[in-house]
Parts: sequence; C-alpha cells; structure tokens
Amino acid sequence: MVAQPRIVVTGLGLVTPVATGRRQTWERLLAGADGISPVQSFSTEKFNVHLGAEVHDFAAADHLRNLDPTTLGRASQLAAAAARLALDDARIDPASLDPNRAGVALGTTSGEPLEVERFDDRLVADQLDRVGDEFIRLYPCHMIAAHVAAEVGFAGVNTMIPTACAAGNYAIAHASDALRWDRAEVMLAGGADSFSRITYTGFARLGAIAPELCQPFDRDRKGMIPGEGAAILVLETLERALARNATIYAEVAGYGLTCDAHHMTAAHPEGEGALRAMTAALNESGLHPDAVSYISAHGTGTPTNDRLESKAFRRLFGTRSKRTPTSSIKSMIGHTMGAASAIEAAVCALAVAENRVPPTMNFRQPDPDCDLDCIANEAREMPVEVAMNNAYAFGGNNASVIFRKCHP
Amino acid sequence: MKPSQATQRIAKRVVITGIGLVTPLGDDPEELFAALCDGRSGVATIENFDTELLPYRQGGEIRDFKPADYLGSKNLRPLDRTGRLAAAAAHNALLDAGWSEEARADHTIGLVLGTLFGSVHTISQFDCRALTAGPMYAKPLDFANSVINAAAGQTAIWHRLPGVNTTIAGGPAAGLQALGYAADLISSGRAKILLAGGADEMCYESYVGYHRGGLVCGGTGNAGSASRQPPHPIPFDGRRNGFAPAEGAAFLVLEEEEAARQRGARILATVRGHATTFDTSLATDTAATSASLSRAVGQALARAQCTVDEISAVSASANGAVRGDAVEATALADALANRTDAVPITAIKSMLGEPMGAGGALQVATLVTSLAHRTLPGIAGFSQPEKAVTLGGLSAETRKLPQSRAPIGLATALGLQGPSAALLIEGGADDGTSHHV
Repeated sequence: MVAQPRIVVTGLGLVTPVATGRRQTWERLLAGADGISPVQSFSTEKFNVHLGAEVHDFAAADHLRNLDPTTLGRASQLAAAAARLALDDARIDPASLDPNRAGVALGTTSGEPLEVERFDDRLVADQLDRVGDEFIRLYPCHMIAAHVAAEVGFAGVNTMIPTACAAGNYAIAHASDALRWDRAEVMLAGGADSFSRITYTGFARLGAIAPELCQPFDRDRKGMIPGEGAAILVLETLERALARNATIYAEVAGYGLTCDAHHMTAAHPEGEGALRAMTAALNESGLHPDAVSYISAHGTGTPTNDRLESKAFRRLFGTRSKRTPTSSIKSMIGHTMGAASAIEAAVCALAVAENRVPPTMNFRQPDPDCDLDCIANEAREMPVEVAMNNAYAFGGNNASVIFRKCHP
Repeated sequence: MKPSQATQRIAKRVVITGIGLVTPLGDDPEELFAALCDGRSGVATIENFDTELLPYRQGGEIRDFKPADYLGSKNLRPLDRTGRLAAAAAHNALLDAGWSEEARADHTIGLVLGTLFGSVHTISQFDCRALTAGPMYAKPLDFANSVINAAAGQTAIWHRLPGVNTTIAGGPAAGLQALGYAADLISSGRAKILLAGGADEMCYESYVGYHRGGLVCGGTGNAGSASRQPPHPIPFDGRRNGFAPAEGAAFLVLEEEEAARQRGARILATVRGHATTFDTSLATDTAATSASLSRAVGQALARAQCTVDEISAVSASANGAVRGDAVEATALADALANRTDAVPITAIKSMLGEPMGAGGALQVATLVTSLAHRTLPGIAGFSQPEKAVTLGGLSAETRKLPQSRAPIGLATALGLQGPSAALLIEGGADDGTSHHV
C-alpha cells in the first residue's frame, strides 16, 4: 500500500474573546487572560445569569479585503477574518494557489443565529412584512464556508459541518482527509459561532451557565459560559509545506469521530463514545496513550461534563490520567461553541510547536471525581511531543484529534 | 483533476445496498418511481401551516406522515419533524439493506446527513417562546433540537448507530456532499457501513424566507411578467417562475463492496465518483457559477475514470428557479459536451418540489431505481425549452434508457452562493438480480 500523505498545520487565524490574531491570543492565553464579561449583545435582565464571552472591539473591515462585511452575518465575519489571518500567518498568498485545489471545511453550532433572531423579533411583533430577502440569503449556515471561500477565492471543496460543539474537530478531520484523498492541496479548516441569545437562553434554561466563574475540573464548578469566536487552521501536505519552506506548527496525526447514540444533551454515563473517539485517534496516530504529552480537554466547567470526561481519561490512561497535563482554555474564553474545538486545535498546534501549555484558570479546589493534573492557574513550559484535542457535542457527537511534533 | 496513484491504489469500491425514503409521493422507492414516471405531483396547497398571509401556497408536503408506522410506539416526543422524517427514512433504509437490529449489533454503523436548515421551525419556536413568555419558560426539549445536527443525533439514538455522525450543510448540494463524503470514508477504509442522505422539513419559517426571497413558484419570479404564473414548478421550462418548497428524507446504505458481497447483500448500484466545487463569485457572475458545476461533473468523471460517453442518464437539481435552472442548464450543456443532445435528463423536483437537504439523496435514490428499470421519468409539465440553452435530453415524457451492461447515472446539484456537487453511480446488470423489489 502506498503511504498516505502526511498533513501539517502551517497557519493559524484566531478571533477570540481574549484577543485577535495568533500571537496575541496565544500570549493572552498563556498569561491566564479573562475574556468573560457582562453580556452586551442583548439584555440579560430576565435571566438569572449575566456573563458571557463576547468578542469585543472586532471590526471585520480591518481584515476583509474582498467582501463587504456589512453583507455578511456575524459568524461569517468572524470566520472570514480568521481565514485572512490564517493565510497571512502561513505566508500564503491565496492568489498564488490553484483555486480549484484550495478548499474550506468549517464547523458551527448555530450558523448565523442572529439572522433567525431578527426574523423572530419581527414574527412576535407582527411585523413579518419587514422580512426581506436577507433572511434566506444570510441565515443558512453553509453561507459561513461560502463567505470564507469567496473572501479568499478558494473554488475547491467547500463543506460546512454543523456538528454543534464538536464541529471544529469534525471540520479538521474532514479537511485533512480532503488532502489525504487528493481532493485539495490546501485546506482552511476550523469553526465559527456568534454570540446568540438563543444559545444563551438554552443553556440558561438547562441551568448550565456559571453565575460568576468558569472553573473546569474544580470541585465547586458551577457551569459553562457561552462565548463566540472563530479559528481557522491552514492545512497542507508535509511535502507541499517543505517545498515552500513553510513554518510547520504540528502534524495532524489522526482523529476519531464517534457517536454515543445515547442521549441528545447528556453524555454517556461511562464516557463510552469519548473513550472510543480518543482510542481511534491514538490508533490512527500509531501512539500508545502514554505518548500523550498534553490534553486540551473539552472541559466546559459543567459538573457533568468534567466528571465524565475525567472518567473517560481514567479508562484510557489508567492511573496515568493523574499525571497527564490537561487544561481547559474555556476557563478563559468560555465555550465558543462551533469555534471551540478549532480554537483548542490551534492551542494544541502551538503547544506542540513551542513546548508551552496554557493553564486551566479559576482552579481552587481539586475534585476527587476529576483527579487530573489540570495545569492549575499557571502556564507551563514542558516538552510537548503529542497533544490531544477533545470535543463533545449535543447529538452525542465525540471528536478527538491528535497533533504531533512534525519530524520530517 | 487526476487522482493520484496513491488514491487509486487504496480505494475500495463503495456500493449501495439499501434505500429508505419518505416523500410527498410515498415511502417506497418503487412506488415513488412509478409516480414519477406517471408524472404525478406531490406539490399541492399547503395544509401544515397557516398560509393566509402568503400569496403563494404551493408546497411538497408529506401528508398524513405517521412516524409511529416506522418507529413504533416508543415515545416520539423528543424528535421534531425533521428528526422524525430522518429517523423514518433511516429505518426503511436499514431494513431494505438487511441491517435489522440484530444483524447490526456487531457492526459500527455511522451516519452522514445533509441538511439545509435542520429545523429552523424548532429554533424559531424556542426563541419566540423565550421572547414572549420569558427565557426561563423556553422549552429545553426544543433547545436540544435547536442544533443543526439534531436530526442526525436523534436518528443515531433511535437506531443505535455508534459510528461517525456527521451533518453536512451545503445548501441544495448538501445531499450529494453527504453521499460523497460517506463514499470517501468507506473507500478510504475509515468506515465500513454508513447511512448517507439528507432531510429537511417543510415549515412556515423557511417558506416565508423563500417567499420573501422571490423564489417560490406562483408569483412572477425575478424575470416573469404577470402573465407567466404557472402555480407549479416547471424545471428548465421557459415559463418557470420559482420552486415549490418541500420536505422529505432519504438515506442510502453505503458499504464496502467486498464486505457487502460476503454478507450476501443485494447490490443496487456502485458509487463511481463525485466532486464538489465552489463559485467564488457568490453567483454574481453567472458564467462562473455554471462553470463551477460543470467543473464538478468533470472532476467526478475523472475520479470515476469514466467518460461523458458512458453517461446514460442525468438527474438534475433544477427546481423551477428562474436563475438556478438556467445556470444548471448551461453547466450541463457544457459538461455533456458532444452529447448535449443525446443524454436524457430528468428533474424530479418538478413533482417532489424542492426538498432541500433531502434533494440530492432523492435524486440518487430515484436514479438507482431508474437505472435498474432502464427507464427515466420525464420532467412534469415541461413543454417550452428556454431559447438560450439547448439540452436535447429535456422532455416531459418518461423515456426508456438504452440497454447497457452497467449504465452510469449522473446526479448534479447546483448551489447559487453555495457549493455545487456531482455524483456518478453505476447501475447493475439488466438481469433482474439487482433490481429493487
């Protein structure tokens, strides 16, 4: 059998609640930044929680060079900006590529929820006559990948994968396969979501939003904090990256995608699907669990997620789960939904490249159910050969992706 | 695009072993095929929601859809309409392929579902209740279904499908993209058995959206005058003025050929190749949009190592849209090259309406049946070709396809402002062994 091409990460574009841009975001995360603040995009007066992780001071016009940002939904704006940042970071001039061999694969949870919210505002106000053609033009979620591709001129594979909070990892898996299967030579892969009252209402109604702090793995953790953002990774084959003398952050060594087939919103009580996803990802990477240097956990900060994820870690690593450095950047940037695992994938790639790992902030009291080394409150310098990125979603979707130091 | 040596050498052949569908024209592939061949329409005046304030009221609804007929007496409340349609189609597909609950116990079956909206109705209902009654009165059950992958998740839970569970949103191309991705996952050895297809429901919110976009048939469309008002969609016809929003769900069971043969599965067809492309002009340059679809056809042919001369029939995504159909016609004329006049083309959305995420899978499902019967349904109502594009294969008549040992069918999906896709299947030999019964 002919060896499959190896896939590497050569560019990172980030728009997050703590910063915009790869270097800025990374430094802020290592410094334990706090991207959580009172929600500004709508009134939380009728809610019993008030915090969110919004991206403030973002102007898409600062980044877009082709599309008029006022003609795009917010998630498209965040994603298109991340795409521009990623290509610049990779030192790729999109005009130099064969457009038919350049593609986009993006994940999202809600697509462009602000568009349906605007529709609903009119519906309840009995002003449906004020709905124009913008709803059908902007709302369908595939428009995010479409806007990104139109912004950068990529005419190849174009896939939108709305697999909720695991969507970024699903998109990275899809994009790396598109390269392995020779359907493209450069792929933009990642995820985006905008801050949404629908999402906020839903998690508030489930009692899942933390009132003050997002404290993944802490004994007193009280929930997650909804957020927004976008991250895009430039993926290409190792051969191509070497030929153009690109900076390689990490290699995408393997992935695992599974479904609990158990419950829409509750994870499997034994972490079954999560365990199968991690195992599949390690198997494809040809790695023993002991080889994992760092885990970017899903770690939402809800009592259940963190307990079950820890259980899955124990089942996979045995007693070594206590010693495998694991963090959740959601403590700093909240849960950015479809963007979350894409941002965390970028963190894994940077950890592998720089041998530094970001902390889990707000960690005070260990929880015996989450007996992990969760890199409490302070970033760490340590050798990172292999990083594992976990993401779990409504629908029972589980996705793990392994990033490894690239030894050409 | 030429696939590399590596791609060709590792590729496993992917076969279709089952079909499950729910449509306005029935839930049985043979019955649907017969209805399409008779030119019967599933498009009628909408009953599921109040159309009083809407000037146009044509839609492809599934009347009297009874999910319990497929899913039994278990509590169906957690599933919204899109979820129920998807789970029902999945039930039929699994049974059709011989994957009963006992048979699949030792197999990791996964799912790739294409959709355009998921359920925008559920999302909007959730939001509107929060707006009117207060956020703490919003319904958690609706929130669970507000994610766009809800139908895929619900289907996996209902049928216990623990494998990969991917939802693809690609506008009208979502169904073909889902089938193509699933075929690649099997071809590369990443999965062995997958349900692949799509689902969308008919609802007030999307209907209003399409209506306000000037896209629904019955009005004057973008270009028509007041005299051009056929109430039904007439794809590719000079008089067309829009499409009829519709609903449906369809899954095909895809399997690796060798394993399927070993288990004695009935092989309905083979997936030969596919491709998906994007028009970076976002449909502001019509020529670029049609070029993107003809490029997808060319790439699919290259992947299939097949030539345009081998294509026996085309199932197009044309739905009566004023702009879209013209663009697809141009693309087909370009892609079919010297065979523009020879290859018969159908457009099943003339009878099924525009079922969005289910469209591509329904095109492929009916193409499988068409190739088995060597018969292609006509385009209901088609009588006046548009002058600008000549496609000899457009006809209202149901046509016999030429006898061929292994006929090739092409399904196309045009996305205005979204991806386009093309997928090629090969039907079985005409000896009755692979007919759908």
